[in-house]
Amino acid sequence: MADIPDAPDAAGGRSFRTARLIPHLVLFAAILIIWEAAVRTGLITSIIVPMPSKIGAAIWELYVAKGTIYKHFFITLTEAVVGFAIGAAVAISLAVFSALSETFKRYVAPYAIVLNVTPGIALTPIIIAWFGFGMGSKIALAAVISFFPIFVNTLTGLIQRDEDREELFRSLGGSERQIFAKLRLPAALPLLFAGLKIGLTTALIGAVVAEFAQATDGVGVLMSRFSFQLNMAASLATLLSMTLIGLILFYSMEFLDDRIVFWRRETRRAAKSRAKTRRWKAQMGE
Amino acid sequence: MAVSDGISPPRRIGLTMPRRRLLTHAVIFLVLVGLWEIGSRAGWLDPLFYPRPSNILRSFWLIYVQNGNVWFHLYATLGLVFAGFVAGSILGVGLGALVGFQPLVRRFIKPYVIVLEATPRIAVAPLLIAALGFGAPSKIAIIMLVCFFAPFINTLSGVVNVSEDRLELFNSLGAGKMQVLRKLVLPEALPVIMAGERLALTAALSGALVAEFIQRDQGIGSLILIYTRNLNMASAFACIFTLTIIGFLIFRGMEWIDNRIAFWNTEAGMARVGTKRALAFRGAHG
Repeated sequence: MADIPDAPDAAGGRSFRTARLIPHLVLFAAILIIWEAAVRTGLITSIIVPMPSKIGAAIWELYVAKGTIYKHFFITLTEAVVGFAIGAAVAISLAVFSALSETFKRYVAPYAIVLNVTPGIALTPIIIAWFGFGMGSKIALAAVISFFPIFVNTLTGLIQRDEDREELFRSLGGSERQIFAKLRLPAALPLLFAGLKIGLTTALIGAVVAEFAQATDGVGVLMSRFSFQLNMAASLATLLSMTLIGLILFYSMEFLDDRIVFWRRETRRAAKSRAKTRRWKAQMGE
Repeated sequence: MAVSDGISPPRRIGLTMPRRRLLTHAVIFLVLVGLWEIGSRAGWLDPLFYPRPSNILRSFWLIYVQNGNVWFHLYATLGLVFAGFVAGSILGVGLGALVGFQPLVRRFIKPYVIVLEATPRIAVAPLLIAALGFGAPSKIAIIMLVCFFAPFINTLSGVVNVSEDRLELFNSLGAGKMQVLRKLVLPEALPVIMAGERLALTAALSGALVAEFIQRDQGIGSLILIYTRNLNMASAFACIFTLTIIGFLIFRGMEWIDNRIAFWNTEAGMARVGTKRALAFRGAHG
């Protein structure tokens, strides 16, 4: 996610966390109050921009009182995740084959590029005609859209060569397979994860757009239904659930990134090496 | 860091091909198309859902020449894309610069940016249509929203991440504020901003398509939707390949503009402008 550098004075220790939160909360509350006041006095039309209190009520109704959102929430989440998994599996395997074989890359590349410059969303109606009105078409669109960023990033990561390190591997008697598994693959992981993160976001977009076009369940359907009833408060409350899905997906990928590509973060690396030391000591019977 | 599409230029990973290989590629492509055609004629592929290449070609002829109906829709879509892109990127760059130069604002805006980034922004489309009504204004608003974000984040981070050392050099040589802005901040930020613009233009096309899918009145998106509904898949595919061509032109066009404006970002651009300036200098001094 975009990393906006903090203002210099914002750099504080962990103990300042809560203290720093207060101004943010105050600002947020102030915005809500001004917004509420502007709508109540008629400065902003309540049809177009609903009052925060109305949105709060809609959130209460959708998420707590009736709980209607959960069914749709999980359907969209499933569509995005399954679509992403399919897209990522195809993309990563094609990228690995392309990295291993120059010929394969040469003949796959033009089609990958054509797929990239075509707005994937344009395929929505056709994919719905092919895969039906159910979850299948949403999964397919999510897979198609998330394919390219993952493919290109994995391929880029895999074909960057570190000649010095490969030399070292070879002089120590490492086989080509060892070089691939222990050097090229780990070196490609940071880029691969960057691609996976982009892919996840686009997969969610694919699922939601396909739901707009034609579906019976999912937050996209809920969203367009509420909008066309001019129930803006409920519509915004539904939008919140999409934000939640986005955050859940992004941070779970971030977590995996942190665990798997542990060597990029100083603290994670230290933790990992401490754990290894402990295991080693236990083995040596200390 | 700034958002990029996370996709490295195809040239670097060797996805562009030299001319002499073009023939092999063309042959393979024709064989694939031929297999498709034969498969369809032999009844392995249902031509109702998977149109024959020959039918797609005939549709190209139909919608471009004989009926010529695609031009109107193409014009409608591209006009919207252009309008929305210009408005959205002016807004994005302007706000990005504003926020970038104000540490206080920057500190408070971060949580909102994170939330905005996690939300699939295209999902707001039904809401905007409900608020602004059918027609061009809501479509332009959707496109603006979709292409606002990348220029905003990239301008922000481009302005903030100016090299400390260079800034110190500028200050120690007594450069004024305007000089720092024009000679240091702008040249350093421009390539990043251009990367954001490139993303925004691609997003604008997708945004226009989604808006048209929902509104179903005019534009290439509604044309695809209508053709698919009528199971006229060949024409739908002709429209999609049209979008592929447009996407390709956008991609290449932005690359060209990028090279012209931020010429100092590539060796070749530097050499080109350097030679030109040297010639002009020599001309001026005899």
